Amino acid sequence: MTCAEFQKALPYIIDGGGSEEEQEHLRTCPVCSDLVADLRYIADVAKLLVPMEDPHPRVWQGIEKKLDSEHLAKPARRNV
Amino acid sequence: MTGNTAEAEDLTQEAFLQLFRKIATFRGESAFSTWLHRLAVNVVLMHLRKKGLPEVSLEESMEPQQEDGPRKDVGTRDNVLAGSIDRVNLERAVESLPPGYRIIFVLHDVEGYEHNEIAEMMGCSIGNSKSQLHKARMKLRDLLKQSKAEKAANRR
Repeated sequence: MTCAEFQKALPYIIDGGGSEEEQEHLRTCPVCSDLVADLRYIADVAKLLVPMEDPHPRVWQGIEKKLDSEHLAKPARRNV
Repeated sequence: MTGNTAEAEDLTQEAFLQLFRKIATFRGESAFSTWLHRLAVNVVLMHLRKKGLPEVSLEESMEPQQEDGPRKDVGTRDNVLAGSIDRVNLERAVESLPPGYRIIFVLHDVEGYEHNEIAEMMGCSIGNSKSQLHKARMKLRDLLKQSKAEKAANRR
């Protein structure tokens, strides 16, 4: 199997699976194994981008204001 | 998905308004979170189209496309990225992605959606979702390697 053939299949096998031939190529080809290592590393570090904080209060205030202006939400009930 | 905080806030507001306007159309055929996410993604897509930004992959990729060909670095060995990426660099690189690639990357690798869920949200096939994610990661790899090389050159 050539690197080009392996890399063509890669989008569909990177998260698991792949034929015996593809797995063998990955085991024996340093170029493709480095590529796969990089792509998996990128997928892992993506978790760094999970938002650490809630949206600013102005977002919710803006939503509430627009909902009111379009009469899309019932007014909150007040406990008597 | 937008790569811009102010835009994200505006579009979050719009997405919630759309939610209230369209809630009666939710039929329960998918999880509510999937339906809401799809709605939010559509709000982002509409916004990008209005801005005239190239989505690159989303609509163009609805049909299977031929890949660009083997990687130019096939046959040579690069230094691996492992251990060299920090949040700031990654954030910059993701912001540089074409919007279509960025959306798929954020949905899958950042937010953890599976390809079948993304396919439902985006109205594409699972195969297309995988293909576009791969292109996004490859583009990020190029950007991050470039950034790493520039840093190394600046140190000299």
